[in-house]
Amino acid sequence: MHALSSHQTSYLNQIEAYVARMPSLSATATKVLETCNNPQASPNDLNRLIALDPVLAGQVLRLINSAYYSLSQPVSSLTRAIIMLGVNTVKNLVLSFALLQQFPITKPFGSLTSVSFWEHSVAVGVIAKWLAEFKGVNLTDQEDYFVGGLLHDLGKIPLNQKFTDETHQAMTLARQHRWSAVDAESVIFGFDHSMVGGLIARRWRLSPVFVDVLAYHHRPAESPDNNPQLVFIVALADHYARLLENNSDEDTLANDEMAALLMARVGLDASTLACARDVISAEIDRAKIFLEISQRKTGHDC
Amino acid sequence: MIVKFWGVRGSIPTPGCETTKYGGNTVCIEMIFADIQRRIIVDAGSGLRLLGDHLLAEHAAGEGLDTDIFLTHTHLDHIIGFPFFAPIFMPKTRLRIYGPVTCETESLEAVIGGQLSYRYFPVRQQELAAQIDYINLAEGHFDLGNDIRLSTKYLNHPLLCLGLRFEYEGQVYCTAYDTEPFQNLFVTDPQDPAFDALMAHQGEVAAREENQRMAEFFAGADLLIHDAQYTQQEYEASRKGWGHSAMESVINTAQQSGVRTLALLHHDPMRTDVQLDELTQLLCDRRHTGDTDVFFAREGIQVNI
Repeated sequence: MHALSSHQTSYLNQIEAYVARMPSLSATATKVLETCNNPQASPNDLNRLIALDPVLAGQVLRLINSAYYSLSQPVSSLTRAIIMLGVNTVKNLVLSFALLQQFPITKPFGSLTSVSFWEHSVAVGVIAKWLAEFKGVNLTDQEDYFVGGLLHDLGKIPLNQKFTDETHQAMTLARQHRWSAVDAESVIFGFDHSMVGGLIARRWRLSPVFVDVLAYHHRPAESPDNNPQLVFIVALADHYARLLENNSDEDTLANDEMAALLMARVGLDASTLACARDVISAEIDRAKIFLEISQRKTGHDC
Repeated sequence: MIVKFWGVRGSIPTPGCETTKYGGNTVCIEMIFADIQRRIIVDAGSGLRLLGDHLLAEHAAGEGLDTDIFLTHTHLDHIIGFPFFAPIFMPKTRLRIYGPVTCETESLEAVIGGQLSYRYFPVRQQELAAQIDYINLAEGHFDLGNDIRLSTKYLNHPLLCLGLRFEYEGQVYCTAYDTEPFQNLFVTDPQDPAFDALMAHQGEVAAREENQRMAEFFAGADLLIHDAQYTQQEYEASRKGWGHSAMESVINTAQQSGVRTLALLHHDPMRTDVQLDELTQLLCDRRHTGDTDVFFAREGIQVNI
């Protein structure tokens, strides 16, 4: 990162303060309360509920790995957390975070909406998990790919919440000049959402592989050696999810330079990825139904 | 080291003619380190009242009690004796109370001391004469001084609950209650609409590994005091997930872990003396328990380790 102007330093200071007390998302909050207050809610419901909310998943993992529980080994799997600490303890964690949430679904989520942010996060998680399975990653480690994908854009939240106008400005710049979002953010803020993501991951003491995913998913080649395959797969999942969101066809995927680079690194071709499109879309829809997101969508996408 | 049982019952105090032999007070255990004149109390069930009265009688007038109380968890049957523990009303008493709390807003002090409010009790916490410090306890290894070491491990109970492993001069005393074996909580039937292969697989692995850690936690204990609220039949029929264990499986696990003496604790409130005697005949015979001595804990007895 180059030297920041005094204005940009002020942005960074405010972002750091925000990250220290980052709230959960509202899109899942009602469902969280409903599930946690229902004695009949199953561990499967609870697990899926947390796994579908990037902030919540990160917060729960953060707290479980904190000095509060002082576990002898770090836990990176929500499934394991529920088995180890029990449904009630995890429900309590989830409820406390849900109460922190501040963004009603009827309000735009800064320059994003919480719905569009959530949809993209889940899509990247689903795709990353599918890619991991395709690449023969063992079943136990596949959850890291889902969680990594789910959390990858956490850095966007502080930027959107604290500096809505500036983020709008960055997005406009990106559209006008055909820049990437991270390049446009860098011009405005002096840093981008992946830097903020790394900040969050370190502050929350997430495992090093998640720090890498959040900080390097736009520059996977620069990622440290903790698990480069995970970072590349999430980067590809992120890129592919954006192509799907833009309704790009198979030709676009085949001719997309960045996609080609990432696919070569991950080791699969465009036709294989295109074949998975229906499976991936079905998975994303299943997740949406679970959270009843589709019924509540209010349409503030920017 | 001497371990003395002041309360062995689970869930709720159970007075009456059917519980006179094993006792009706809820869990409270005293550890006495005579050579270093140290005492540690584990849990503050209704048995703590008897222990408090005993300590007052033992101590000369005006002499203060200085001790540690470790709470395995804060369910009512494990803290209900605290307001009736007479030394808390004595000005020279110093207590350090350790226990796990979940990440709720209430502190350990509020959870335990909250019983001492006019709503429930005629004396408020603020009015107690004793000096009491509350210390949050989590999983880890601790030096308690005088060469006493403590390791803790989270158990499987609906509330955050810790197993305790005390080691002193090569002797190991371990508690594992309230708990039941870790289980895969996730749907494993592929036909079930909620089935998720990854979740089911990870749940299986996590449960297996946690049970392995549990067995390692009390491996080689000279005395293990373990939850045994149910028979295997009761447990399998309708008690899974309630956070308590079946006697038969506890005996089996203790044997496999090389436990020297196993005390079965947290007797169900419905369990009568006659039934416990019958279960002793059935389950505690050395022909079945191998190298592990097994008995159902009884109020008032003590074990020398």
